[in-house]
Amino acid sequence: MYELILLALILPIVTGALSLLQTRPAALRTVNLLGSTAVTGVLFTMIYRITQENVYSTEFFYVDHLSAVMLFVVALLTFTATLFSLPYMEKEVKDGSISELMLSRYYALFNLFSFAMISVLIVGNLGLMWVAVEGTTLASALLVAFYFNRDALEAAWKYVMICTVGICLALFGTMILYYAQATAGGAGYALNWLALRGIAAQLDPAVVKIAFIFILIGYGTKAGLAPMHTWLPDAHSQAPSPISGLLSGALLSCALYVLVRNVIIVQAVIGAEYPQYLLLGVGGLSVLIAIPFVLAQHDVKRLLAYSSVEHMGIITLGLGVGTPLAIYAALLHIVNHAVAKSALFYMAGTITQEYKTKNIRQIRGVISVMPLVATMFIVSILAITGSPPFNIFISEFMIIMSLFANQQGVLGGMTLLLLAAIFAGMMRYSLKMGFGIAPAGMGRVEVAAPAMTAMGVSAAILIAGGIYLPPLANSVLLQAAKIVLGG
Amino acid sequence: MELLTILLLLAAILQTRVSNLRLAINIVLVQSVIVAMACVIIGIQTHEVHMFIAALLTSAIKVGIIPFALYRLLPYLHEEREIVGREIVKANFSTFMTLLSIILSYGLISPNLPGVAVASTLPAAVSLTLIGLFFIMMRRQAVMQIIGLITMENGLYLFGLSITQGLPLIIEMGIFLDVLVAVVVLVILTYRLKLSLESTDTSLLKKLKG
Repeated sequence: MYELILLALILPIVTGALSLLQTRPAALRTVNLLGSTAVTGVLFTMIYRITQENVYSTEFFYVDHLSAVMLFVVALLTFTATLFSLPYMEKEVKDGSISELMLSRYYALFNLFSFAMISVLIVGNLGLMWVAVEGTTLASALLVAFYFNRDALEAAWKYVMICTVGICLALFGTMILYYAQATAGGAGYALNWLALRGIAAQLDPAVVKIAFIFILIGYGTKAGLAPMHTWLPDAHSQAPSPISGLLSGALLSCALYVLVRNVIIVQAVIGAEYPQYLLLGVGGLSVLIAIPFVLAQHDVKRLLAYSSVEHMGIITLGLGVGTPLAIYAALLHIVNHAVAKSALFYMAGTITQEYKTKNIRQIRGVISVMPLVATMFIVSILAITGSPPFNIFISEFMIIMSLFANQQGVLGGMTLLLLAAIFAGMMRYSLKMGFGIAPAGMGRVEVAAPAMTAMGVSAAILIAGGIYLPPLANSVLLQAAKIVLGG
Repeated sequence: MELLTILLLLAAILQTRVSNLRLAINIVLVQSVIVAMACVIIGIQTHEVHMFIAALLTSAIKVGIIPFALYRLLPYLHEEREIVGREIVKANFSTFMTLLSIILSYGLISPNLPGVAVASTLPAAVSLTLIGLFFIMMRRQAVMQIIGLITMENGLYLFGLSITQGLPLIIEMGIFLDVLVAVVVLVILTYRLKLSLESTDTSLLKKLKG
């Protein structure tokens, strides 16, 4: 296991360094395809090993089933994003949006970003997790600013400022948690997650309560939870589309993961009620706040970004209910949302690249320009809005069911209403984009095979996941839910 | 130690009156020097090698590289300065908030918390963090916001130092690395802002909405 962890950390760095040395597009393509395949292979092996050995823990590293769920998300998404990047970024060069020299910088930053996300998931120390989460912000900041135009700079500035200040508050909370640990006599294993869980009963509840507020605000900012979500639509809409997919699917999930790790400790100290009410409140607010922006939106990528805020809210609601079913559903929803939203960003990227605009009103008749992409786009929109028989329906249904089953009927009813509104808003825009008459001069367009594969794989998982969940995945999710519940 | 704390807060109050970018960087540099000196003093008191390494890292990164990067940025930003004169009320408000956060921190934090390493600097650390936060919110110049972020980070660092004698070294090194990279990224962004907007006034950044 130790070798696998080292490989998972070293491979992205090596791939990134090699990318910096290359300038020919063909060589870059080969290096990154091979590198990304290798990383994904290593991560999948790691997940398989976890299902065999349950836990792996050393002084600095810690992986269990909860990490495995997130590792799956990161492994799948970095692979599809690389696959999609290959033709997408080359076309950006051809269209003159970026110079050929910037291509190698793109891949170097991309791999640095993967490295940071993988390290979030495999370190077993809340302090190091903080370092890694801040690392993801910094690695992705220059990717958000990648086009270096006015809008991209604005988005990147807000992204770094808001997330760094937010994450500073999380550090404040983490320091307070360490203080609680030190006064309880556990200073030897500073902020080690396992050690903290072990001595949870001796921590001072009042101190931990204060710490949790700061930790929730800090990591909640990074996870795009309202009202700290303001950076998210800007960053997601201005980044190159493969990066938008990664930000929304993988990065937000990583931030939630760290929040969950902290919640597990806090629950063990002060009981579940206090963190659960806070989570329910923040989650409900996130779903609510996304509504007006989804209903009246002009930018297709911002539309998808606000849908991410909504889904992070739904996941947080699931975590807030805190029953085994709700936690299971929330974890499943993280995976489902990551697959669906990354696919949607790839498709939106393909469409906006052809139409040369992100304005929804100017995109018409995609079905006659790119029939397959348009079909998949509408299917994925159906999936992300929670229609059966797709995977998101299953997890969303379970979360809302558990809301009703646990005296949160009002919140559940409100969420259902809001989801119906979001369904209406997103369907309206996507159908208008999909059908209608394409602008004059737009003929049939062939989409490159790697991009098609990336979108096809994600769409296939969307559809298959609604009908069938492999027993292995089910058991990993069950175990992970047990860990979140403190088992 | 008490003298250092007073100097630190004095520097923070002074910072709210400054509109010249170079002067602001000088002040934040002094602030970082004081934090490094606090590390050394705690190191001498507790005989922990860890503290001396932390002092060294603080001097190298926050007194050395970060101000250097900011000074390097200045020639590109000629004529850029924080507009305080026009909105003197805002500067006064900023000073007021700074004083308020100092009073609140000293008023609300009990000096008798159990197990605190250095109780005397704890309120100063909390107020420095708050001052940094207010500074980011009040100022519009990109460089000023970076300085606010460094102030906030200094406050956090001092907080860790006074409450638990700092975090374990490996985590602290990670934090230093993050701060360094954050400032470098922000300096790159500021430079690019100047290139494409011909200004580093962040209040111009309000195009993305809805």
